[in-house]
Amino acid sequence: MSTKTRGAITRRSFLKLSGTATAAAVLGGPGPVLHALVPAEDISKQGKAQKLFSACDMCFNKCGLIARVEDGVVKKLDPNPKFLKSRGMLCARGNAGVKQLYDPDRLKYPLLRKGARGEGKWQRLTWDEALDHAAEQLQKIGDKYTRCGVLFMAGSDLQSKFVHRFAEVFGSYNVISHESNCLLSRNRAFLDTFGEVPLPDVLNCKYVIMAGANRFEALVTPDSMDMMTAMKNGAKLVVLDPRFTKTAALAYEWHPIKPGTDMAFFLAVAHVLVSEKLYDEKFVQEKTFGIEQLSQHVKQYSPEWAEKECEIPAKDIRRIARELAAAAPAAMIYPGRRTSDYENSTQIRRSFAIVNALLGNWDRPGGLITASKVGLRKPSYDPPFYEENPFERIDTGRSLMMFEEEGSFKHARDAVIEGKPYPVKGCFTYKINPMQTGANRQKTIEMIHKLDFMLTVDIAMSDTAWMADLVLPAPSYLERLDPIAGLQGASAGTCLVTRDPVVPALFESKPVFWIVTELAKRLELGEYFNFTMEEYRKEQLKDLPDAMDVLKKDGVLNRPGKLYGVYEGKAFKTLSKKIELYNKRYPALGIDPMPVYSPPAKVPRGRFRIVVGRNAYITQGSSTNNALLHELVPENTLWVHPKPAGKLGIGHNDMVKVKSSVGAEKLKARLTKEIREDTVYMDTGFGVLSKGLSNVHGMGACIAAILEDHNDEISGNMAMHETMVTVQKV
Amino acid sequence: MKQRIGSIVLAIIFLICSIGLVLAESKGNARKGKYLFRKHCRACHSEGAAGDRVGKPLSPLTKTQADWKKVFDGYKDLECKDAWEKLSEKDLLDIFTYLHDHAYDSPSPAKCS
Repeated sequence: MSTKTRGAITRRSFLKLSGTATAAAVLGGPGPVLHALVPAEDISKQGKAQKLFSACDMCFNKCGLIARVEDGVVKKLDPNPKFLKSRGMLCARGNAGVKQLYDPDRLKYPLLRKGARGEGKWQRLTWDEALDHAAEQLQKIGDKYTRCGVLFMAGSDLQSKFVHRFAEVFGSYNVISHESNCLLSRNRAFLDTFGEVPLPDVLNCKYVIMAGANRFEALVTPDSMDMMTAMKNGAKLVVLDPRFTKTAALAYEWHPIKPGTDMAFFLAVAHVLVSEKLYDEKFVQEKTFGIEQLSQHVKQYSPEWAEKECEIPAKDIRRIARELAAAAPAAMIYPGRRTSDYENSTQIRRSFAIVNALLGNWDRPGGLITASKVGLRKPSYDPPFYEENPFERIDTGRSLMMFEEEGSFKHARDAVIEGKPYPVKGCFTYKINPMQTGANRQKTIEMIHKLDFMLTVDIAMSDTAWMADLVLPAPSYLERLDPIAGLQGASAGTCLVTRDPVVPALFESKPVFWIVTELAKRLELGEYFNFTMEEYRKEQLKDLPDAMDVLKKDGVLNRPGKLYGVYEGKAFKTLSKKIELYNKRYPALGIDPMPVYSPPAKVPRGRFRIVVGRNAYITQGSSTNNALLHELVPENTLWVHPKPAGKLGIGHNDMVKVKSSVGAEKLKARLTKEIREDTVYMDTGFGVLSKGLSNVHGMGACIAAILEDHNDEISGNMAMHETMVTVQKV
Repeated sequence: MKQRIGSIVLAIIFLICSIGLVLAESKGNARKGKYLFRKHCRACHSEGAAGDRVGKPLSPLTKTQADWKKVFDGYKDLECKDAWEKLSEKDLLDIFTYLHDHAYDSPSPAKCS
């Protein structure tokens, strides 16, 4: 931070002021505070309103935005109308991004834990002290336990690639993404059926079934807006969900399906399509493998059988199957996003994928289309090899078909706790919050207690940061220079997006790129980070010489490209080189080649199955403390149907205790008929332990504290809907 | 005579490498293979490669698992076979394992940009 600040404020007084600013802002006077935080060079632009491009980071979608900056202060964030992927939209969370930037709860300088883990006692360090300490600890663990003795976890962020690069050159291949708490089983299922993970062309679809997906609340761009547009154009949306979500409310039909039985529904749909020859025969003969086996397999799964499992009338299943076929190929089973729900979630999504294949919607308008290359170069490097390292990742072999580059948080955590197959004693996390998102929080705490050193880089004191030994402050997306990113936007095509700082970084925050560069220098790995971000970007754009000019002019470079018919004459990337209704690889691994239905565990008497999700104001644990969003959703509640609630003597807004085999939490009950009688529901992102999140601390309950840690047996994805709970009035 | 000795040496090298490739059915160290691939192959087989010998850019995603096996079975027909012959049996097995295990039709395809 420059010492040249407004008036006579020095670095020391600026930081002191920022502490005062915190208190002032809490008391409700943000105006003067913001001005006090703005360096003089920006105040010199007083009177000049600027409009600067950026890309949102309030969730993973990265929608284009234009920041209105006045007097060096970001006043408002507007959508970028040229940003096709987000259809020129910026949602409520996106608008609230200003409050992430000017959040008094932001981490301001490096902090070293002084008390017990989670006690909240910290000592302020200088950056040099913090980096020296971190490098020393990483070196010590690497020397004692091999380089794989450090576990790296990085969230969905444009700079996470530098954490991965640092992990690789440091020598650890124990790198976990957020995906194993989210969508791995969907990816597994579609990859194993089509040879790649497709994108849904929702905009041009005439008939969409969303099973569990809540696209009008858990927004995905462009799918959420495209679904609305498609419906305006006459498309039919059918929602299967145990909960009456906003998506269900706006759908043509809602079926409160029994949780865990989606596969029964889709196998019955396949039964109707096959037995009534409603599928695209030409497409299936030419492009799929295993229709004979599938035809035999689904004979047992009639709609009448499925009705008893999923509690959707057989006549409706049959009708829906016929309507789908009539609309095909512009008809789809929406693949969904978060699929961390059941122990057989890959096979559930295989049943989605198989019905899509029968509809012949692959590579066609209104169907499933493929990702395109965006043309960015991936700057290469040659990391060293550490002969003393163990042979495999720590979580290897704990599920049948894990993704090498994603890992499994659940399995890695178990492995760290067990110390098997080898000890892991260090952890580096960046913008990821498994204390909130990883089921069975007690186990996450247990894992952290096994570590000699844990370093967290984040914008605010998340629950994960709260448990760390060293916490380093990162700037928000509005203050950062990021690498160029290529985004996939389904029928909007691909695009390139850039993110330049719209205001300078506040406090002493430093981007993780700078942090790993400095750590690399201290660990004699500086040669792998001997470039600036500008140089990195230049290398990325080497094959797109005009791209930067367009990015500067429009904030986005849209690359529509060819969307349909891309696979004409091409082999599918599967063993059979076709779409695999029958998976050729699975039998050798002991996996059923076609989804075999087994009913979900029965909900015991007096208990409920708990399901989790989010609304449009929540991005898991990272947005609930945002001042604007907190006003809209101050706490989560437990959705309970009035009938069982009545039997338990629970009234609306009563405080209840929700208890599973791994933990208990207290929160208010919301009595509503918008949920099945055998199911209860909670939003993610509340019940935080961190006292550094002042708005949300003490509000609501944490899903991770209640959910048991089951996993999808194929992909290692967390399975978060397998937990049964009791609910008692407090 | 020199030519004959040369042929015998070459035949021995081929034999050793062939044994290695038979072993390729078993598991090498994919991580070491990634390192060795970058060290020995990428200089010629990458975008923007320059020099006397520039090959097509290669990554595990360039081929199917079956095609990688074919390449390793028939490497002696490649222009760069001399470079292959400088590598040990174990190194070749490691490189094969890396490319094969992350091929585009593998269960865990390498990530691309």
